[in-house]
Amino acid sequence: MVWSLDYLYAGLVSLLVGLDRTAVLQLLISRPIVAAPLTGWVLGDFYLGLQAGTLLELLWLGRLPVGAAIPPDDTQIAVGGTALALAMGAGAEAEADGLPMLLLCLLVALPLGKCGQIFDRLARQGNGRLLIRAEQELARRRPAAATRWHLLGLGFFALASLGTYLGIILPGSLLLPWLAPYLLAKVGDAAPWLALAFPLVGTAVFLGALRNRRILVLYLLAFLVVYFLREGL
Amino acid sequence: MLPLGIRLRILLRLPLLQASWNYERMQSLGVLYILYPALRFIYRDGDLVLACQRHLQYFNTHPFMAGPILGTTLALEEERSLHTEGTLDVDEFKAMIMAPFAAMGDAFFWGGLRPLSAALALLVAAAGCWWAPLAFLLFFNLPHGWALIAGLCGGYRHGSGMIARVQRYRLPDLAVRCKEVTALLLGALSAVLVADALRAAEAAPAWGPCALLLVPLLGGLARLGVSNLILILLMAATLLVFLG
Repeated sequence: MVWSLDYLYAGLVSLLVGLDRTAVLQLLISRPIVAAPLTGWVLGDFYLGLQAGTLLELLWLGRLPVGAAIPPDDTQIAVGGTALALAMGAGAEAEADGLPMLLLCLLVALPLGKCGQIFDRLARQGNGRLLIRAEQELARRRPAAATRWHLLGLGFFALASLGTYLGIILPGSLLLPWLAPYLLAKVGDAAPWLALAFPLVGTAVFLGALRNRRILVLYLLAFLVVYFLREGL
Repeated sequence: MLPLGIRLRILLRLPLLQASWNYERMQSLGVLYILYPALRFIYRDGDLVLACQRHLQYFNTHPFMAGPILGTTLALEEERSLHTEGTLDVDEFKAMIMAPFAAMGDAFFWGGLRPLSAALALLVAAAGCWWAPLAFLLFFNLPHGWALIAGLCGGYRHGSGMIARVQRYRLPDLAVRCKEVTALLLGALSAVLVADALRAAEAAPAWGPCALLLVPLLGGLARLGVSNLILILLMAATLLVFLG
């Protein structure tokens, strides 16, 4: 019973941060570095959320929400992945199994999060109908009523966020108890490298998309200087 | 001059610009929603409906650059209502300015400041500080809030002169500087993470720089059209097969 309440609380977080993604404010509480720790804090383990956020933050950083392009929903992956990890017992009390379980949950949540782009597209198509309603109100010479249709768009975006969250949580909570006995030990063995793979892929794709040799050289220099200073080689 | 109360209402509505974003006319309904208190003050009856219809035309720009555009739009609407000769047409102004401002906003806020804030926050998190998310929010939202508030107020005060004022900030150049600093921070972050991973795996530190080979390789695959999702899943599968 406790875990279902936790999923409910995480659902409320997913709604809040999902609206920030496009519809309201865009303070960027929707970024994984904020959304995942927020979820962790609400569910009682801030640091696990922070760990999830740091793993996911760079992954799609280079994908810009420009025009009609809809980037992958890393917000709901962060919220859903953190909630799944805590429900599967990756919290502070898990000790050695904490990071492997978190990594496994994120690897399951990543492909499931693809549904977010479909829900987002549906929300935007729904908003198109609001525009038609607003035009009809203006044709009836009721401008105040026309502007009120705008706020209904928040409902479509909220539904899209919840849909994506459920699209991660429902299959994830069914898959993980089945996958964990087979994969958790393997993930545990590879955990340091898997934890490195997430930011490294994000960094590589971000730098690759810039197509700028000067920026790549700056990255390489900073890496070598910090690495050799840190290791004292 | 619009009363302070109306200007405050417009400012409070500004963050809702994209609430009804749609494929047909993108932010147009949001623009009408934001400007409506001012339009109702300036126009009456049929003129108000005509003004609302004008603002329901296609509009799309960067949401943080909407402040200066809509502030200037308000100033132009006031001038138009007074039948001032020789002023710039409101629709013409919006159509002319939205794309360049969108390009500047995308380059600076999404392409420059957001990655820089993220890299900074990740470095703070790697140092074990719990306040990394707060650092991210603060670093990103100071320029964001400033662009919205100062942009709207400045646009209203200076009218079309606001364009030159925004250009003075040279946002595309700033974006390039942000990317350079981001690359430095990401380099430092990667070095810290690689060193930690080697230590956790009890491997020799001399292997560290080999991680650099992966960066151009993965970046090249991404440029060939391989998605990040496929890349991370492929990498995870490879690691699980060989190390798990």
